Amino acid sequence: MEAFVGIDTNLERSRSDLPFKSIPAATHLFSRWFDSSPLTCALKHQRKMALHSFSSARFCTSKFPICFHLSKPSKFPLFSHRSISFEKIPTKSPPPLRSSSTQLQPMEELPPKLQEIIKLFQSVEEPKAKYEQLMFYGKNLNPLDTQFKTKENKVEGCVSQVWVRAYLDEDKNVFYQADSDSVLTKGLAALLVNGLSGRPAQEILRVPPDFAVLLGLQQSLTPSRNNGFLNMLKLMQRKALELLIEAEKGNGAYGNGQVVTDNSEKPVENSNSDSNVDENSGVRLSSQKSNEDNSSGLGSRGMRIKEKLERELSPIELEVEDVSYQHAGHAGVRGSDGETHFNVRIVSKEFEGKSLVKRHRLIYGLLDEELQTGLHALSLVAKTPSEVEAK
Amino acid sequence: MMEGVVVKLPSFPFLYPTVSPSSPNCRLGFRRFSAPLSAAVKEGSVSLGHSTRPDFPILHQKVNGSNLVYLDNAATSQKPTAVLKALQDYYETYNSNVHRGIHYLSAKATDEYELARKKVAAFINASDSTEIVFTRNATEAINLVAYSWGLSNLRPGNEIILSIAEHHSAIVPWQIVAKITGAILRFVSLDENEVPDVEELRGMISERTKLVVVHHVSNVLGSVLPIEDIVIWAHAVGAKVLVDACQSVPHMVVDVQGLDADFLVASSHKMCGPTGVGFLFGKSNLLLDMPPFLGGGEMISDVFLDHSTYAEPPSRFEAGTPAIGEAIGLGAAIDYLSGIGMQKIHDYEMELANYLYEKLCSVPNIRIYGPKPSDNIHRAALCSFNVENIHPTDLATFLDQQHGVAIRSGHHCAQPLHRHLGVNASARASLHFYNTREDVDEFIRSLDDTVSFFNSFK
Repeated sequence: MEAFVGIDTNLERSRSDLPFKSIPAATHLFSRWFDSSPLTCALKHQRKMALHSFSSARFCTSKFPICFHLSKPSKFPLFSHRSISFEKIPTKSPPPLRSSSTQLQPMEELPPKLQEIIKLFQSVEEPKAKYEQLMFYGKNLNPLDTQFKTKENKVEGCVSQVWVRAYLDEDKNVFYQADSDSVLTKGLAALLVNGLSGRPAQEILRVPPDFAVLLGLQQSLTPSRNNGFLNMLKLMQRKALELLIEAEKGNGAYGNGQVVTDNSEKPVENSNSDSNVDENSGVRLSSQKSNEDNSSGLGSRGMRIKEKLERELSPIELEVEDVSYQHAGHAGVRGSDGETHFNVRIVSKEFEGKSLVKRHRLIYGLLDEELQTGLHALSLVAKTPSEVEAK
Repeated sequence: MMEGVVVKLPSFPFLYPTVSPSSPNCRLGFRRFSAPLSAAVKEGSVSLGHSTRPDFPILHQKVNGSNLVYLDNAATSQKPTAVLKALQDYYETYNSNVHRGIHYLSAKATDEYELARKKVAAFINASDSTEIVFTRNATEAINLVAYSWGLSNLRPGNEIILSIAEHHSAIVPWQIVAKITGAILRFVSLDENEVPDVEELRGMISERTKLVVVHHVSNVLGSVLPIEDIVIWAHAVGAKVLVDACQSVPHMVVDVQGLDADFLVASSHKMCGPTGVGFLFGKSNLLLDMPPFLGGGEMISDVFLDHSTYAEPPSRFEAGTPAIGEAIGLGAAIDYLSGIGMQKIHDYEMELANYLYEKLCSVPNIRIYGPKPSDNIHRAALCSFNVENIHPTDLATFLDQQHGVAIRSGHHCAQPLHRHLGVNASARASLHFYNTREDVDEFIRSLDDTVSFFNSFK
């Protein structure tokens, strides 16, 4: 069924006032992020490209008001409070969907595998053969583990069910997995998975939705299918962005006291924990129906937990991970806003001389308020500095 | 019986003595007919589908390279040129705001608008045109009843009975109002024929029941409910009945006095009329006691700064400038339908319904939802179905792209029903009197092709 998880691209429901609020938000997001990023000027150049291509690709037009329901500026803790100037992006009025190729990004800028796929589809004239090709892709798609078929990974606006999962590898390339109960939709998903996987997030983010025209798939242009295909693409791009931001955060780029990630533990970078990355980034941003929570790793409860533990226990290592998505659907989660299950790893002197039970009690005591207001479970690893060194 | 007359007379469409909708003879409930299975082919005569097709310009086009076969009538119907003309005529010659104007155009528009109201009243045999309230569509009409009648009549603990097969528009407004008033919603499930369980419904009706909300014809199951009986049971405990007639008014004779329904709703766009208008029928004594729904112009009597007084029904419930042209278009649609005769339309569609069902059964691994047609059980001319291992969206997409056949796939605004049936979505083909047997044949042929295509990939 359709709970709306942040993406509201259902054409029937689009409201005219929405996109104009979102456009500033999206450009705000990008301009702020890129400005304060430690990345090089090359990226700044790419930013200009990205913003431009976004406007020309109508990424944030009236039909697709999601942009990212990520940031309301006031709640984004990672950005400093300098006054925000909105860069005026000249957006053209949306051209009709069957636009000429002059509107499209040059094909050379698309990810290489996607280019191959497009060429393949263009070489196949007969629609039936295109369907067969789609279905072939779908058939050969790697299966998606049931644990990833979560609300956060579900593509909205589809009559069929589609899930997409994203994760980063060591080189910070984005990889996707997907599944669907409809064969054609699975084919479309596979097309995107094959075309976009293994590429850096920035490249993925620059893929304009118009590219679907190049495929010559009628169905990707009809409204109902359009929704599905474009929603898939948007979800994949959004996940790529989330992963990218998470990766940035993992570099300790932001000196905000709230966010403490020890340098020796960078879950984002760690190639062993692909699923880790996905959990942290994929889950948090998109997890809930409300837009209120915008930090790219932990929600407000997660932050509070971190804060409290830091304040009270002055740990030398602290890692708080939201794994609520794994429990979606079970009794403890129902009716809450997410943020119900956390893994906490904490190394602190305060634990010296205390038994395991006492350490856990101490932590539970500190987080009592959270436990009373919806926090359902904590999985704790509590060590002393000497124990950690001794390893 | 009626049905004997229909079969035996030569069916030259507009000459043979159709029983007009308002005559007492056609108030017979649907279930008293035993529809002859496809044996009743009129040899050598032109079927209703063929004779009316020329009136519908939209049907004559190619879609994705194939001739359009439009089988999504339960979602919306097509409009005959008579209706299109009426709309154009209105806007070209006498468009003007209604009710308050003095000048010629305004008077004419008002006359035509009120005439349309009278036509609707006559069409469903309401006793007076003041019992017809024009709304935007059936959904708005139900909301009107919910917010106006519901909020002022429901108390905590009162029960509203619905079936799980109701359209969302018949469920959601009542959920909202129940939350506000403390009333309780109770749902009737399906029986072994996959029809809402009428006995269960009867058993659920008690002195706590204040309202029964039921569809006349189900847009998914194709089943028909015995409204007269339900009304009798409800009235015995003082409960009211709201009938969702969206799928019945366009396809058969509906007589609100015969049914004795308290409220009845329908949409124009499903009965060959334009979109943007629908109506609520409400018994006079009920409407008179109901507070306004939307506030604004037209529905008032006098307006002061601190309070206002309201108009009599139906104006009380028609705030603002109505969809004047569209209501007149609806009137034209009713004229068109009456010209053919609802009984005739119904009989023809019965034939088609049985034919569709029979042919669909021949598709391997198909599961059709709703009752199996028989002497006692009649199906509307629609079938929701699933083919094993093929997603309905895939079916619908392929049918459209490769064969120009338009069906619908999804939950058809009946998620609770689909949940009960254990599926996420279903495909649905729905017919109207301008469809032909050839349409059905083409549909089945295309469906077979589609199913083979997808099966070849497994």
